[in-house]
Amino acid sequence: MEIDIPLPEELELLEANSHFYEEPYLDPPSPDPFPPKSPPSENLEIDGSKRPRNSVETESPPEENKRTKTIEIEEEEEEEKEKEELDWLRYSPPQENKVGAAVEKDEEVYLSRHVSAINGDCMPVTAPSGGERVYAKISRAQRDEILKKLNIKERSNGLIFEPVNVLLQRVEQQVLTKALQASSEHQSDITLHDTPMVHEQLWVDKYAPSSFTELLSDEQTNREVLLWLKQWDSCVFGSEIRSTSDEVLSALRRHSSTQHQKTFDSNFSRKSRGHRWSSGSYRPINNVDQGNNNQKGMQELWNKKSRLTGPPEQKILLLCGPPGLGKTTLAHVAAKHCGYHVVEVNASDDRSSSTIETKILDVVQMNSVMADSRPKCLVIDEIDGALGDGKGAVEVILKMVSAERKSDFGRENNANKKGRKTASLSRPVICICNDLYTPALRPLRQVAKVHIFVQPTVSRVVSRLKYICNKEGMRTSSIALTALADYTECDIRSCLNTLQFLNKKKEALNVMEISSQVVGRKDMSKSAFDIWKEIFQKRKMKRDRKSNSSSGSSYGEFDFLHSLISNRGDYDVILDGIHENILQLQYHDPVMQKTVKCLNSLGVSDLMQQYVMRTQQMPLQVYQPFIAITLHRMVAQVQKPIIEWPKSYQRYRTMLMEKTDILRSWHQKIPPYISRHLSTKSCIEDLISPLLHILSPPKLRPVALHLLSETEKNDLAQLVNVMVSYSITYKNVKSDSLSTNLGQEAIVDASALSFDPPIGEFIKYKDYTSDHHVLALAMKQVLLHEVEKQKILQVSIGKSVHTTDGCSNGDQNFIGKGVSGPKSAKPICENAVAGAKNFENVKNIPNTRQGFPSTSTVSSSLVSSRSASTGAKQKSTADTRKPPSGFNFFERFRKPSSKGSQDSEIADVKEVTLERDLRPLLFKFNEGFTNAVKRPVRMREFLLR
Amino acid sequence: MLWVDKYRPKTLDQVMVHQDIAQNLKKLVTEQDCPHLLFYGPSGSGKKTLIMALLRQIFGSSAEKVKVENRNWKIDIGSRTIDLELTTLSSTNHVELSPSDVGFQDRYVVQEIIKEMAKNRPIDTKGRKGYKVLVLNEVDKLSRQAQHSLRRTMEKYSASCRLILCCNSSSKVTEAIRSRCLNIRVNAPSEEQIIKVLEFVGKKEGLQLPSGFAARIAEKTNRSLRRAILSFETCRVQQYPFTSSQAIPPMDWEEYISEIATDIMKEQSPKRLFQVRGKVYELLINCIPPEIILKRLLHELLKKLDAELKHEICHWAAYYEHRMRLGQKAIFHIEAFVAKFMSIYKAFLIATFG
Repeated sequence: MEIDIPLPEELELLEANSHFYEEPYLDPPSPDPFPPKSPPSENLEIDGSKRPRNSVETESPPEENKRTKTIEIEEEEEEEKEKEELDWLRYSPPQENKVGAAVEKDEEVYLSRHVSAINGDCMPVTAPSGGERVYAKISRAQRDEILKKLNIKERSNGLIFEPVNVLLQRVEQQVLTKALQASSEHQSDITLHDTPMVHEQLWVDKYAPSSFTELLSDEQTNREVLLWLKQWDSCVFGSEIRSTSDEVLSALRRHSSTQHQKTFDSNFSRKSRGHRWSSGSYRPINNVDQGNNNQKGMQELWNKKSRLTGPPEQKILLLCGPPGLGKTTLAHVAAKHCGYHVVEVNASDDRSSSTIETKILDVVQMNSVMADSRPKCLVIDEIDGALGDGKGAVEVILKMVSAERKSDFGRENNANKKGRKTASLSRPVICICNDLYTPALRPLRQVAKVHIFVQPTVSRVVSRLKYICNKEGMRTSSIALTALADYTECDIRSCLNTLQFLNKKKEALNVMEISSQVVGRKDMSKSAFDIWKEIFQKRKMKRDRKSNSSSGSSYGEFDFLHSLISNRGDYDVILDGIHENILQLQYHDPVMQKTVKCLNSLGVSDLMQQYVMRTQQMPLQVYQPFIAITLHRMVAQVQKPIIEWPKSYQRYRTMLMEKTDILRSWHQKIPPYISRHLSTKSCIEDLISPLLHILSPPKLRPVALHLLSETEKNDLAQLVNVMVSYSITYKNVKSDSLSTNLGQEAIVDASALSFDPPIGEFIKYKDYTSDHHVLALAMKQVLLHEVEKQKILQVSIGKSVHTTDGCSNGDQNFIGKGVSGPKSAKPICENAVAGAKNFENVKNIPNTRQGFPSTSTVSSSLVSSRSASTGAKQKSTADTRKPPSGFNFFERFRKPSSKGSQDSEIADVKEVTLERDLRPLLFKFNEGFTNAVKRPVRMREFLLR
Repeated sequence: MLWVDKYRPKTLDQVMVHQDIAQNLKKLVTEQDCPHLLFYGPSGSGKKTLIMALLRQIFGSSAEKVKVENRNWKIDIGSRTIDLELTTLSSTNHVELSPSDVGFQDRYVVQEIIKEMAKNRPIDTKGRKGYKVLVLNEVDKLSRQAQHSLRRTMEKYSASCRLILCCNSSSKVTEAIRSRCLNIRVNAPSEEQIIKVLEFVGKKEGLQLPSGFAARIAEKTNRSLRRAILSFETCRVQQYPFTSSQAIPPMDWEEYISEIATDIMKEQSPKRLFQVRGKVYELLINCIPPEIILKRLLHELLKKLDAELKHEICHWAAYYEHRMRLGQKAIFHIEAFVAKFMSIYKAFLIATFG
């Protein structure tokens, strides 16, 4: 709400005026009603007179009401300059000297700030309330001054360009809204001039930057964002794009003048937050300092890029940075500046992937048929905020981006300014987040253009704050403001809120009490790197100055570090980081006492951590930060430390897991009669080194087996035996991994043989060369062969002699049945008969326990047992046919049957089968083939000669 | 197979090193019922060998027919179920496992397996032994809760189940458990015993042992019989016939630690400490337990140290080892020890040589 609602007559006049000024704008060649440059003498006068008014105002609030009226009148009658000047003269003389001094001071202290302050002075015209009493004249004078100053710079001012039609539309719209407002307010109390509502508006909103040039954020970032947006022009605006050439710039200059005129007209508009300013003759505020080179390069870059037809390479802009630096503001301002209609999606909206998809499609593909037909720009705020939902948004965007990439080439030609009808991004999307490294954003990070916000300089923030304070009539000192800005880490939002709060309470900002005063310390955790830096680096005097007022610098430092570390909370990582980096510091420590102390402290923290974890008494964690502070006191240096992320402990953990796994799996492979005597620990301690020696004896000659002497053969057999019993073999590996690990091993060809459980790895320490002999490749191959042979042999032997060999594995019984020797065949047969007998018993007495579940097995084995009793030849076939579960089954029957039905028949059968089984013959009839007599041969017979 | 396995005594009668213990055990088992047993002693002293021989004594050769099983337990604890997997060795009469492998949930394993065993009492028709034996390895690594839960179940199911516990140090086994068991300390074999065993092995293998060679091996191996026999075989593989001056290949990790010790003695500075850290990490990665690293490091340092510092250094080594066991990140404490040593040594050097 505004204090001074324009009277209807005034409104009409205004409207008429604005229409009047529109026309020259529409038609650039037509002569401006106001020549852009006013006579310099006038400027001077005006410049002088501007200030006093300001100060008068701030000093005399009671007068305000009265004066606003006069100013209104002034504004109405803008065109009658003389009269206005008279007005000013009326006000200015008493303050003349003071103002001059103030201006001077401003100029010498902050050049840019001064300009921005002036800039601000002319801005309030656009502010919806409070600023209305100000200064049509001033701004015009201002403009002139700036124009004069910046004529050169504007030439290079390539980023600011707005399509004419966009501006026009905006003007129209403003007029419309103005009229609407006026009419609505007309019905309410017109005479109410001093509405308390004015003060209720948050300063943050009230003084939010409305134009690109007002942004406080880092100039570089601003410009890059704008550049990125501008790259969309060709695809969004199509042929309307014009690159910033000289003619455009000159046109721009003309426009800017007209625009200013126009602003005066719409002074009363509450919506006139002024995108009109955005064509920005004020932009190069800082360029005074920065010099023109930078900008020139920038412009070249932009010119080059803007000629490209497509949208920019990276279709998504990701802004990140701590809160309160103006990310959202930048996105909005820049988008508006480039002629987009901003559509914002933030955490308060529904962000599930379906809704967000429709929303994005709306934004990206549709053109509004309503009055506001500007292209839209999507701003997704707080994209890192809601993890589950925010992810939906990220996914959708990624999908669109990837879809775009796939079909990029085919559709390039079809692209027109109307936008495409496919699910691809054809409008800029700006994402905003606080923490760039949120896991949800990881995929987005790769495709998006990332800009990290940095804090604006304190001086800029302070100058802005000061300007606002002046406007609000609040007394402050720049020292206090500096302290405030420092304290809030240049969070403009919190500064403004604090100031407004204080203002409301009619208190002054006190330098000393900032920390104790209303300003809440922002509960923001810094990154671990920042914390390590704070710990390792001594603060300069800056912070001390602030804190020594309370109780000495160390105390403040202590507090500061403590809050810093406890806000972060992740003590484990922090202490790991300290441990990782502490030895790299350059502190003075002749007898290493400091180092000892530091490591002791770290040890204490480890004990604490362990205790807390074991007893689950998390409150005790509060004592962790003190350890870090102790370390800080001991080792902090002034110079900048090189800090690395603590990787080695994690690396150690993962490698240890890996190796333990290898060890364990090896341990399990070793047959139990050996492994039961070895723990994995003693494996490492005692076994591996000697084992490696034993496995590669230096005397073994790589020659053919038959050339070896008897003792050598024995040795070889022994070696193979060891390898088999420890289940070690060789296998092929890539040589490069090997040769890097073990330089000693000379491997020529690509593939080499190494131990299969890689036990060699366990003695490969860094910078350590062991004197283990390494066998030649040929020898390894021989060994590999022998080991395989031995394994097969052992399996078959294991079957036949496992009853006598106490060491063999129990379950091998079942595995190796296919190659069962005569001894194992015998009990099977015996069982079969016994089983058959028992089966009959079962039939008779059905409630016998085993009968029912295994009837089928019994019947099949019944067949086998019958065939065994009738013909020995068929016995062998039946034996092979026998289902695997049969053995189990019969074993269970063994005892009762041996008790119950002990017969001479069994003995007979046993003898017969024993004989037959020694020389089993297999008759097998295959239709279409010759009948053949086959005889099974055991591996054993090949191997054992 | 290796000599270690080949010449491992299979029965209590064959035992060469701890004959007294073996005879006592034999008497214990044959004359009366066996109590719970707790074997403790350093590694490589023959605990497991004794246990196996004892099992054989009790159950005969069937105790040697073992199978490996990866057993899963589903344990219901009120709100949720825990899935545990553990490798066990079992024969018909006994089960062998290292519950500490499952980490902090070892309690459930201990409880479950004993109950399970108590449920299925072996039905021995010949009426020999009505109990099963549960062999628990590495009892000292059991968590405190597991040990507490063990002590009740030990009593409750003692009728059907005997426990044989095996650990390196009895100090980490709670008093309660120790008092429920017959404690058997298995010493590290003396060097004479080791020499005897080596000579026995040499004779069996038909090797010519030069005089004093066995003694040298025994001396090098830190009184661990396993290591002695392994070294012996290594020497045999490296060079035969033996010469009395033959080099006995060292353990690689010990060699590496002695390199670290040399590094420490050469220079004392944070930079060097950083290098040492990297090397210690290497050892830790390769599964060398931190206690052993610290112990060995102390050993190596003491070798090179002036006598007057030895006491102090030992004190600090003990101090840091204590802290290491209380804590979690061994590297912190090992490094702190190294730093402490460097500091002391450097101060000593400055004081001595100016």
